[in-house]
Amino acid sequence: MTEPTFDLSLYYPIFLYLLILLGFATTVMILIHVVGPRKKTPVKQMPYESGMDPVGDARQRFDVKFYLIAIMFLVFDVELLFLYPWAVAAYQEGGVPEVLRRPVFWGVLVFIVMLLVAYIYDWRKGVFKWR
Amino acid sequence: MHEFHFWPTLITIVVIFCALQATAGFLVYVERKICAYMQNRIGPNRVGPYGLLQVLADGLKFILKEEFVPKTADKGIFLLAPCIAITTAMLSFAVVPFGATDNDAQAYQFVIAPGLDIGILFIFAISSLAVYAIILGGWASNNKYSMLGGLRSSAQIISYEIPLGLSILGVVLLTGSLNLEDITWRQTSAGWNIFFQPLAFLLFMTSAFAECNRLPFDLPESEQELVGGYHTEYNAFKLAMFLLGEYVHMITTSFLMVILFFGGWHFPFIAGPDAHWIWKLIVIAGKVTFFILLYMLVRWTLPRFRFDQLMGLAWKVLIPLALANVIAVMFVVEFRISPWVLLPVSIGILVGAAAPALRPMNGAEPIRAEQ
Repeated sequence: MTEPTFDLSLYYPIFLYLLILLGFATTVMILIHVVGPRKKTPVKQMPYESGMDPVGDARQRFDVKFYLIAIMFLVFDVELLFLYPWAVAAYQEGGVPEVLRRPVFWGVLVFIVMLLVAYIYDWRKGVFKWR
Repeated sequence: MHEFHFWPTLITIVVIFCALQATAGFLVYVERKICAYMQNRIGPNRVGPYGLLQVLADGLKFILKEEFVPKTADKGIFLLAPCIAITTAMLSFAVVPFGATDNDAQAYQFVIAPGLDIGILFIFAISSLAVYAIILGGWASNNKYSMLGGLRSSAQIISYEIPLGLSILGVVLLTGSLNLEDITWRQTSAGWNIFFQPLAFLLFMTSAFAECNRLPFDLPESEQELVGGYHTEYNAFKLAMFLLGEYVHMITTSFLMVILFFGGWHFPFIAGPDAHWIWKLIVIAGKVTFFILLYMLVRWTLPRFRFDQLMGLAWKVLIPLALANVIAVMFVVEFRISPWVLLPVSIGILVGAAAPALRPMNGAEPIRAEQ
């Protein structure tokens, strides 16, 4: 049985990598700003709308379905986040103790069935219908 | 205690960084060549032998192009979006082992961050941030095409993230680890996961295609209806950053497919656990190349989905199948049944789910190919 440990030094390479990536992105942004030619004309700076003058603003109200999808995503993703630690620990040495495995198994099954109930409810309500 | 070696890590990072950029650039060339041959054309052949220097020419052109921002655009966010796109795509590669690694403190490894136990979770966390690049880019452009493309894309990416995550759960349950190296090691002794999880692999591949915005799921940038989707207004290297991000994402998901389901660097008779590292490197590179080519062949073979079909596929097909798969694995692991049972069970679930689609709907004849 191993004690759970957290070692920040494992993450140092990632921090270093992130710094380099951010540096790269910034450098490129500055570079293309300096190197490229610049001749601004009003037509060039218009938003592209198949060659016509743009009509109105692009930021209008959009379909409520996108919000529904976002909410559904939140529900399912949070469920998923709960399942990951369980999947790692359930049958591991030093994870869930032997005696508790069966109760945990049924518990997780109930958890998934609850998810299924919510899923069926959504389906019946027509959340997944796109037209 | 893990030891952090600064210079070896820095050198590894720089090498991987350059290799990723070069590969992503080269993949653009490969993609154009494959597309050309499949359409009975020659493709790029002017710059250098066989057009091999096309990548260089394109890169140079991207830098030397005029760079401007549309007047109505939100300038800060507009410039931020491509930076997010490339940073997240490249960063998620940090934990992918592209050769055999071990968790001992050894200076040079075939991975940027060795021994990180949250492996897969890290990749998912970072690569799902990529949706910010798309929605911010689409919103900031203040262009109707970009806006629609960004909206569609964000809905698509968050929808496909759930089957992507669920399909991995089976593998994690069988392995008991999120560490990609541990998962590979387990497959060397217990057999590749594809034999136990063929359904999960199909789900994962489908979702990965959608996550990468590749055909048949490239709705966000469907040229015929949305011009360029979220990157309609982007030009010069800002556009290149989006494209590079996309290709790097493709490389990462190919690696994930190989490592999670096809045994990583393991190959019977060629690269066993004791083989020399160069064999392992060759094997994993070969497998990844295969999947990248598969991406490209699929792109030029299949037509595009309609948007309602796309969302329907994610929510009505992939998620229930993934849940069924997880439950099957749960039972197998809990009651200590041989994992080989999962092979017929997976195929059974898949066929059972496909059966209703073959039935004539509402008395109408199913569509058949014309003679």
